[in-house]
Amino acid sequence: MAGSPSRLSPSDIAERLTAQFGEDITAFEDVHGHAVVAVTPGRYQELATFCRNEPDLDFDYFDFLCGIDYRPKDAGYQVVTHLYSTRHNHHVRIKLDCDAEKPVAPTLSGVWPGANWHEREAFELFGIRFDGHPHMVKLLLPEQFEGHPLRKDFPLMTREAKPWPGAAEGEEIEE
Amino acid sequence: MGLIDSVDMPQPVKFILNWGRKYSLWVMNFGLACCAIEFIAASTSKHDFIRYGVIPFAHGPRQADLLVVAGTVTDKMAPALKRVYDQIPDPKYVISFGSCSNCGGPYWDSYSVTKGVDQIIPTDVYVPGCPPRPEALLHGIIRLQDKIGKEDLREKWSGRVTQPAVAE
Repeated sequence: MAGSPSRLSPSDIAERLTAQFGEDITAFEDVHGHAVVAVTPGRYQELATFCRNEPDLDFDYFDFLCGIDYRPKDAGYQVVTHLYSTRHNHHVRIKLDCDAEKPVAPTLSGVWPGANWHEREAFELFGIRFDGHPHMVKLLLPEQFEGHPLRKDFPLMTREAKPWPGAAEGEEIEE
Repeated sequence: MGLIDSVDMPQPVKFILNWGRKYSLWVMNFGLACCAIEFIAASTSKHDFIRYGVIPFAHGPRQADLLVVAGTVTDKMAPALKRVYDQIPDPKYVISFGSCSNCGGPYWDSYSVTKGVDQIIPTDVYVPGCPPRPEALLHGIIRLQDKIGKEDLREKWSGRVTQPAVAE
């Protein structure tokens, strides 16, 4: 094991990543003490590998990966990957924007095997295809299920018959 | 089935048969969510449904008389539930325990949850609640026993679906 544990602040993490990837880090935010960076699709896998291999980052734990549907307010989908370093006790979230019509993202299942099922879940729920994934089939939904249920345009049959009764406290939609 | 469904039994025989059946309900717990915990609570010493003759030691559906569907039935689980139900020998009874298995409950507009177990299998008693307290299950069991007590075996074994009772 190289070096002693040293927790990097979110801005330090962003600095390290920007020094390596330059303009391919398109955005940085400090959210609740976690670094959140956005990256271009071309260097997404490279960034993930860098985060895992670099001794002072050492993101050895793939926490989760999920999809977000930002339509129609913003353009397209987003893939969010949350990484954690069990040695340094710091986090990073990597955001990747995907196309609204044909959402495709590179796979991370070669970097962390744990990404495999997370990507299958994002695939079945949002219809985001992961390029290079070894087994891109449904994970939890029944095989005959049609559509991607967490997409905003997925019709809920029950709500067609009885509309949503209204926003509960705390979930008002800002316009 | 033989004698019972070909001949109308005299009332005392019917009474004895139903009396025997209603206090010997070997139960299969189809526990799918938090309601299953309430079912287990009802089986343990404080509420103790064995005193009503509900016996939670059925080794499998083939040894059971009563199926309690406790929890959220999803469309993916539905075929398995149907299979378990089909394996239970007649005469068999079903208690739908909790809002989810009654009608989908809080998942009324979900993409994955079955909106009521009665869409899959015929149900005898519905116990409302989220989750219902163990007392509610006891009440449901008593309602089911009332129903069994009044049953015409010839009717029951004819394969006709009988009307459900709702626990109040």
